[in-house]
Amino acid sequence: MDLKAVLDNIFLNDIFVTWIPVLATIMIMSFLYRDNPLYKIGENIFIGVSLGYGWILSWEYIIHPFFIMPVNDMFVEFHFWDITNILWFLLALTMFFRFSRKKAWVANYYFGFMFGYMAGYYIPIAIQNILRQSTDLMKPMNQGSFFESSKWIVIIFGTFAALMYFFFSKPHKGVLGKVARVGIVVMMIFFGAAFGSTVMGRVSLFIDRALLLVDFPMQSLVCTVAIIIYLIIYFKFFKKEEKIADDESFV
Amino acid sequence: MKKILEKLKKIDRRIIYLVVFLSIIIPILPGFDFLIFPVAPTKETKAIFDEIEILNEGDAVFIDWAFDPSSKAELLPMFEAFFKHCMKKKVKVFIYYATINGINLGKESVKKITATEEFSWCREGIHYINMEYVPIAADIRIFNMDVDFKGTYKKEGKIFEGVETLRDIDYMIGLSGSAYHFTHVDMQIRFNYKFGIAVTGVMGPDFVPYLQTGQLTGMANGLRGAAEYERLVSDKYEKNYYGSATKGMSSLTFSHLVIFGFVIVGNIVYYMDKRKRG
Repeated sequence: MDLKAVLDNIFLNDIFVTWIPVLATIMIMSFLYRDNPLYKIGENIFIGVSLGYGWILSWEYIIHPFFIMPVNDMFVEFHFWDITNILWFLLALTMFFRFSRKKAWVANYYFGFMFGYMAGYYIPIAIQNILRQSTDLMKPMNQGSFFESSKWIVIIFGTFAALMYFFFSKPHKGVLGKVARVGIVVMMIFFGAAFGSTVMGRVSLFIDRALLLVDFPMQSLVCTVAIIIYLIIYFKFFKKEEKIADDESFV
Repeated sequence: MKKILEKLKKIDRRIIYLVVFLSIIIPILPGFDFLIFPVAPTKETKAIFDEIEILNEGDAVFIDWAFDPSSKAELLPMFEAFFKHCMKKKVKVFIYYATINGINLGKESVKKITATEEFSWCREGIHYINMEYVPIAADIRIFNMDVDFKGTYKKEGKIFEGVETLRDIDYMIGLSGSAYHFTHVDMQIRFNYKFGIAVTGVMGPDFVPYLQTGQLTGMANGLRGAAEYERLVSDKYEKNYYGSATKGMSSLTFSHLVIFGFVIVGNIVYYMDKRKRG
């Protein structure tokens, strides 16, 4: 039996793939009660696994297909343009000079190339995008219903008012002050919408975990009870500390 | 009244967590199926659905998968519903990954769908293809209209018949939890492809201006967008198809009601306390 088969048998069997996700979820959620060693273990496992997984994937999907394979092909059949593989590799290696204080400037060649390339590529497109957005506002206002027309007034006046809030060359008094005040309201509406969406996103993340717990009820129940017992024992007998003020506990 | 006010002021945050936890977990427990209700689709989500509906058998759809397991909760249900819809319409699906952490998640999801009896006829290389990974900063090269997919990805399959470059793609959808797809929106001006997007709730408001100009044909926003898409697929093809997004919507609704409740109570307590202090 080869090593891969042994590892697959250990990590891909039914017991492992059902108990570990449930246990890890509840370990991390135990932080909601209070910081504890079990949460720390879960946190460190998560970081370790993420990094290890990232390294393996980087090798498999980046280094191997984009560097090792093309260089290997060079030795089979050489084309003049294959030299670029080596040039890109050398350019990437300049990043390692960041570790040296005296030679850190060498890495600027990489950054210089990247910034130049990206700026050259994106600036014309970004300008096209601004023009596209602007031309869409320059439509006749009497099209469609009153609601459709009023939408454009809100967009144009709202944008203007929000910009006026950041106009500091004159004191925010009189008409300018009132317009800037409307600008704040416009921005607050956007921030409110963004915050509402963020809350929805965060709750969605928990729903995903909740669906997992519901899918494996026995495992969830056993892990929850075990972790509750652990928390009781830990905070009762091992970790005795003064009650933390509510506003300090989650900083 | 004074006592209640004092108690509410000093309510332990763990009680709030517990109430939110219960509001999420109870609607998805077995036996509480009556709490699952399909949501009404918005015109933005319906626009994506309609774009796929007008395609013919054999047309090509490009899925730009730019999310990893951290955004799985919101975007995976959308991908599943979208992929199933494409397969039902018998359009060719090209899946490209812009983030390495999402590759295995994507492949597993496709494998799971095609393992079901309904989609057991789907074959990789004929009906869909995983086109692997291209680094996120370098993937703009795929928007070069003259780059041959088959040559770039060194993939073989009948699916490439009639589809060589981006010119032959009839619709493109991006799934991401970051600002990554702004690039695609900008590029759309130059190359004029049809582009829709499914994003996490956090990113949703940032993409709205592109809907008004028509740069985006449609947008599915977060878990709700996915639930809407599931509803559209359900109404058209598969009665009572409830994916994980539709299941999650009842939890989302009840948890939001609880959060609203806490916000309102918190504000009432705050103002009453302020008035008491003078």
